[in-house]
Amino acid sequence: MSTEEAHDDHGHHLPAVQDWPRGFGEASWWPFVTAVGGAGIYAGAGLYVMGQDGIVGQTAGPAVFIGSIFLFLAGLYGWLYHAFVSHFWSRDASQKSASKLRWGMIAFLGSELGTFGALFAYYFFIRAGTWPPQELPHLTGSLVLANTAILIVSSFTLHWAHVAIREENHRNFILGLAVTLLLGAVFIGGQVYEYYEFIVHSNFSITDGIFGSAFYGLTGLHGLHVSLGAVLLGIVFVRALRGQYSAERHVSVSTASMYWHFVDVVWIFLVVVLYVGAEVGA
Amino acid sequence: MEVNGQLALTVLMGVFLIAVAAWLARVEDWRSYTPLAGGGTVGGTAEQYVSEEKPSGVIRWLTTVDHKDIGMLYGAYALVAFAVGGLMVVLMRIELADPSMTLISNTFYNSLLTSHGITMLFLFGTPIIAAFSNYFIPLLIGADDMAFPRINAIAFWLLPPAALLIWAGFFPIPDVIPAQTAWTMYTPLSAGVGSGNQMNAGVDLMLLGLHLSGVSATMGAINFIATIFTERNEKVSWANLDIFSWTILTQSGLILFAFPLLGSAIVMLLLDRNFGTMFFSVDGGAILWQHLFWFFGHPEVYILVLPPMGIVSLVLPRFAGRRLFGFKFVVYSTLAIGVLSFGVWAHHMFATGIDPRLRASFMAVSLAIAIPSAVKTFNWITTMWNGKIRLTTPMLFCIGFVSNFIIGGVTGVFLASIPVDLVLHDTYYVVGHFHYIVMGAIAFAGFAGLYYWFPIYTGRMYQVTLGKWHFWLSMVGTNLTFFAMILLGYGGMPRRYATYLPQFATLHQVATVGALILLVGQIIFVWNFVQSWLEGREVQDGDPWDLADDDLVTAEWTWFERKLETAVTDGGEDETELATDGGQTVDDTDADAESADDA
Repeated sequence: MSTEEAHDDHGHHLPAVQDWPRGFGEASWWPFVTAVGGAGIYAGAGLYVMGQDGIVGQTAGPAVFIGSIFLFLAGLYGWLYHAFVSHFWSRDASQKSASKLRWGMIAFLGSELGTFGALFAYYFFIRAGTWPPQELPHLTGSLVLANTAILIVSSFTLHWAHVAIREENHRNFILGLAVTLLLGAVFIGGQVYEYYEFIVHSNFSITDGIFGSAFYGLTGLHGLHVSLGAVLLGIVFVRALRGQYSAERHVSVSTASMYWHFVDVVWIFLVVVLYVGAEVGA
Repeated sequence: MEVNGQLALTVLMGVFLIAVAAWLARVEDWRSYTPLAGGGTVGGTAEQYVSEEKPSGVIRWLTTVDHKDIGMLYGAYALVAFAVGGLMVVLMRIELADPSMTLISNTFYNSLLTSHGITMLFLFGTPIIAAFSNYFIPLLIGADDMAFPRINAIAFWLLPPAALLIWAGFFPIPDVIPAQTAWTMYTPLSAGVGSGNQMNAGVDLMLLGLHLSGVSATMGAINFIATIFTERNEKVSWANLDIFSWTILTQSGLILFAFPLLGSAIVMLLLDRNFGTMFFSVDGGAILWQHLFWFFGHPEVYILVLPPMGIVSLVLPRFAGRRLFGFKFVVYSTLAIGVLSFGVWAHHMFATGIDPRLRASFMAVSLAIAIPSAVKTFNWITTMWNGKIRLTTPMLFCIGFVSNFIIGGVTGVFLASIPVDLVLHDTYYVVGHFHYIVMGAIAFAGFAGLYYWFPIYTGRMYQVTLGKWHFWLSMVGTNLTFFAMILLGYGGMPRRYATYLPQFATLHQVATVGALILLVGQIIFVWNFVQSWLEGREVQDGDPWDLADDDLVTAEWTWFERKLETAVTDGGEDETELATDGGQTVDDTDADAESADDA
């Protein structure tokens, strides 16, 4: 239906002109592939649970889970490649399409408030009760301070890179991105090291009491977000190396930056209430 | 006994799925997906266009990123879920015709109760709204498509697997039983604690499916927010944005904060169940779950009811021959409900022993939210006042909506009051109250939309007499079933039980008769819907409701008119046998009775 639109409707844009399958304006396999992969991740988790109960084999769950992740990533790759990357310089990049992507990111960050909100609500709920609920590990060590500093600095380097591309300074742009990525990787490494210290040396793991649930729930969720942010910045970095982006075309730089800064702010809040907040008055 | 029930449901489902498959197969070779080039052979040009933009056959539907196609997929999905959830409850109502356990076991009853709720709220309610919003928001605001067409497609394709996971317990998988937690999934029952059987993997699968459907809803909400903010035509400003887009925008805002929170709570519950965390085994963990759940759950009520209110606010004035009375205040009340909806959740927890000061403040906000709801109701009534009312089927459903919403809303005001709630909590009164809203209002608005826009998405007209039969059977069935429930609640009948004391038998039987009347009405609807889609009279006029006479044409009809004008004339024969609403004034609704033989 609406077949005539491309012909008589001036300025009508078909959404998927350069996509797979080729030759159509409103067809793409990628969303379907992505959705099958995404749903497969859930099915894998379900099979894992069934495997624990001995209903299916133990390996079925992890196998489906991992396979689906690859399918999901393939779908994402195809989608993003055809929608944003392949015709970067020739595709339409009006003010309107830039602002819709920014609004999409703003709305997504709004939904993140809900995602984090449930876990913070849980933490505040237990924090308001008898405190400490159990023996707490030593939380505010030099590691967490260093990690916090690293993440804050990474926000500044990213902003510096963003300013650079708006001034057509490609060298500083790539440099800023690289430094940010490096700092992000160091942060993730620091978090892994902290987990290692807690689990192996302090005997404090996710199953150790209600604070264990809250601590690993919140830091784990945040860690996943930093990792996703690093992936997003990694994509931007690769595209920058390939010579994409200019002072006029840098929407994905700004949306990835919004995400990174958001995750940074969440971390500062998290350090204040979870690390410091747990020790104050304990 | 349980086996019999399972068997009955499986057979029902089987028959139903075969019918759907047969229908799809028929649609498949019935035309080449150009509804207005019906014959297929004549419109050579038309087919050329099709091959330029979309593949043919099933692949077209799997790969589509067109908002209208995705809207149709959402609609088909929602109606399938509506049928499944409806058949589940029919089985429950038949069981309840007799006080003792007769047809199905208590545990199977609990399973049906759980799945009925989740199916109707998450797999019917949200998707049927998404069907209308996907199809019509871009048309109403003059956009090319949604802001993110591919995300739109992903969001839809996450839903069928979500449904399979949610229903997985009913499938013949050994050692997997359906969840019996009710849709509220209260801990510690849902955490699998104790000697019950809720540690079963069926509960985990249901939780995973629910999470997946939440991801889908959130993606949709992000898309609608970006679309309405940035894709509007230059001529569509905030001042003249239509009422349906306003309600979808507000609803998307609610989804944005409510669904991810439920998602995190579900993940915490899954971790508790499978990885030994202690999120909800803390002292007061049960109350914590209720806080988190209802912080999502009450906005969810408005997520489901605001867009249907938008549909009614859009459709009702078209058949009252006037513009919507107090348009601005309907918008303000929508926004007010959106804000207030996050401040009422604890009224579901008045009986749990939470701090009385907390209770009082939630009571105040819950009573306050009645005000914007009443503003809307009075505006609908005033719109009809002295209007030139045409009782077409969509209009009847709109009026039914207003009427049922008044009963459902007023009973809700009483529940918001702490002392009354303590008496009526967990009785059938509550069930009757919210079914007046979800069935009597939300589903009615859905039907109003399906009939009103039927010409646009099918190119044909439905059969008017059958439409009116559908309305009256639904209206009578709804009020019979759910008013009986309100009375049962006054009598002290607790909700969720498969058996009951003999003194409640009469009212339960009334409710069951009401449910069966509803079933007959919906069968007529399916018949009318499918047959008219296949064989109904083709609409030649871009304004089948004669909206232009009252200067009430909206953008989607203008689009439809242009589409008809530019469509290739296929010269197909006219099938004028079937009566249609045709926008004519229907002043005598009793006329229904004489054409009953159509059904």
